[in-house]
Amino acid sequence: MRNIAEIFKREVRHYYTSPIAYVVIVIFTAVFGFLYFRNLTYYSQLSYQLMQNPYYPQRIDLVMAVFAPLFSSNSIIFLLVIPPLSMRLFAEEKKSGTIELMFTYPVKDIQMVLGKWLASLTILLVMLALSVPGVFMAFKFAGSWEWGPVLSGYLGMFLMGVSFLSLGILISALSENQIVALIISYGALLAFWFLGWAIDPNSGKKMADVLTEFSIIQHLDNFIKGVIDTRDVVYYVLFIFTCVFLTARVLESKRWRG
Amino acid sequence: MIKIENVTKMYGPTVAVKDVSFEVEKGEILGFLGPNGAGKTTTMRVITGYFPPTLGNAYIAGHSVLDAPLEVKKRIGYVPETPAMYDDMRVKEYIKYVGALKGVPKTELKERVERIIGTCALESVYTKNIGSLSKGFKQRVVLGQALVNDPPVLILDEPSTGLDPKQIHEIRSLIKSMEGERTIILSTHILPEVSMTCSKVVIINEGVIVAADTTDNIGRSLTESHQVELTVGGDPDRVKETVSGIAGVRNVSNSGNRFVVDSEKDGDLRAEIARKVVEGGFDLLEMRAHSMTLEDVFLKLVTEEEGERQ
Ligand SMILES: Nc1ncnc2c1ncn2[C@@H]1O[C@H](COP(=O)(O)OP(=O)(O)O)[C@@H](O)[C@H]1O
Ligand SMILES: [Mg+2]
Repeated sequence: MRNIAEIFKREVRHYYTSPIAYVVIVIFTAVFGFLYFRNLTYYSQLSYQLMQNPYYPQRIDLVMAVFAPLFSSNSIIFLLVIPPLSMRLFAEEKKSGTIELMFTYPVKDIQMVLGKWLASLTILLVMLALSVPGVFMAFKFAGSWEWGPVLSGYLGMFLMGVSFLSLGILISALSENQIVALIISYGALLAFWFLGWAIDPNSGKKMADVLTEFSIIQHLDNFIKGVIDTRDVVYYVLFIFTCVFLTARVLESKRWRG
Repeated sequence: MIKIENVTKMYGPTVAVKDVSFEVEKGEILGFLGPNGAGKTTTMRVITGYFPPTLGNAYIAGHSVLDAPLEVKKRIGYVPETPAMYDDMRVKEYIKYVGALKGVPKTELKERVERIIGTCALESVYTKNIGSLSKGFKQRVVLGQALVNDPPVLILDEPSTGLDPKQIHEIRSLIKSMEGERTIILSTHILPEVSMTCSKVVIINEGVIVAADTTDNIGRSLTESHQVELTVGGDPDRVKETVSGIAGVRNVSNSGNRFVVDSEKDGDLRAEIARKVVEGGFDLLEMRAHSMTLEDVFLKLVTEEEGERQ
């Protein structure tokens, strides 16, 4: 535990002192904020128009108009900003050679992986936390307090973000070059994303269904709608677990080969 | 304290180290000597638990690197050949970090770090980033991270490469001062380093151990061997043939009409050589006994092994 905590602290400090985390957080907040305000403006215009119409007394749903499309587009933002957070975690240590001494300390591979993984997860949490004030504003503005779908949407985004990070860490452990790790992460995430689009549903329904099950963003849909389905949670948890486990195995095999 | 048992290490198909065995007793400083590419780093990496051997095993205080790598790692301090540290960390912060990873109790950590900063003379730089330090200071930081867990065993891979003479002297006296207190393996390709600091030597060449003895014994057995330098007028090839024919001569090498004759340890062949040269009708222009320096010894050991294998 102490080892994980120490490595975690070092990595967080590294994020804190290097520009990448700041750039990522700023870009995320700016794009997320921009989309949020755009949706909110649209929502307020729409509500205003509807209020003028006596035959349409219902209010439009804040979640469906603002948050669902926002969370949905967030998949793309995450796809772009998360690999830069994970790319250096192991690639840099291998390139600079600092991993040599690490391998001679009484630290288990999995502790090293978990320390780094938790540190990157912290940055993800910071990113998500920075978007929370906007949510409060929207609720206040609309006078609605429908928390459920927003919370489940956040849970979904968090799980998806951690999945992206975990895949990124695995790829970082496989590469010595941060830029290569970054590009491969983009490629791998896109591949997971497009699974399910690969086959025309009319020609191979079964196959398409199976592949869709593996698609990394497909599982976000239910969360956005406010439904927490065990299958989606299990998918993300398994995905994350597999990546973390494989990362430790990659390190181990690196050791064997020297 | 340290026991290496029939260690073989392969990188893919290449054998880097072959069936290496030796032991180091508690408190000894062992010189691990060999030219570049001999397999020193590979052997040391096996001992530190950096990677497991392909065959064989190594033990630190009875703990096997294969079965109890964490126990091994808790007991060693390692100075790699080309040490890389986190350049973005401050010296003090880094040593504290390594101390924590090596399991120094939280309550002792602060005091331990202070002590290391003193031992390694890092007072003037401990708030600086490691990346900004000179090579000499970096080497002291590496030594600091090796010592922070107060390890009974130190593995030093060519610790003086790239340092200036003053720094080399400092690091050697520091190593020497730990004799008896810690068990140390010091690898080097520089002979004087061994004779100055080590009580025992293991010499490795092309992955195979070629000699292992106390520094004194190795020095003596080789200084007792004779080398004679000759300058002879006449056809060099025929001179070489004549001299090689003398009983007790091991090897004759020449450049032009200058010859170096290696002879068996016992017996002085100078008289015999002189007679044969003159009898052969050559002009003996100069002759002197050449007492070998350790440097020659080393070269010799290595070339002998090569010769035997061919
Ligand atoms: N990572 C590696 N992959 C392949 N071969 C290696 C590797 N490291 C070392 N070698 C080879 O193993 C042999 C021993 O190297 P090394 O242990 O570094 O020797 P030394 O430290 O005595 O100079 C050399 O022939 C070297 O080329
Ligand atoms: Mg070496």
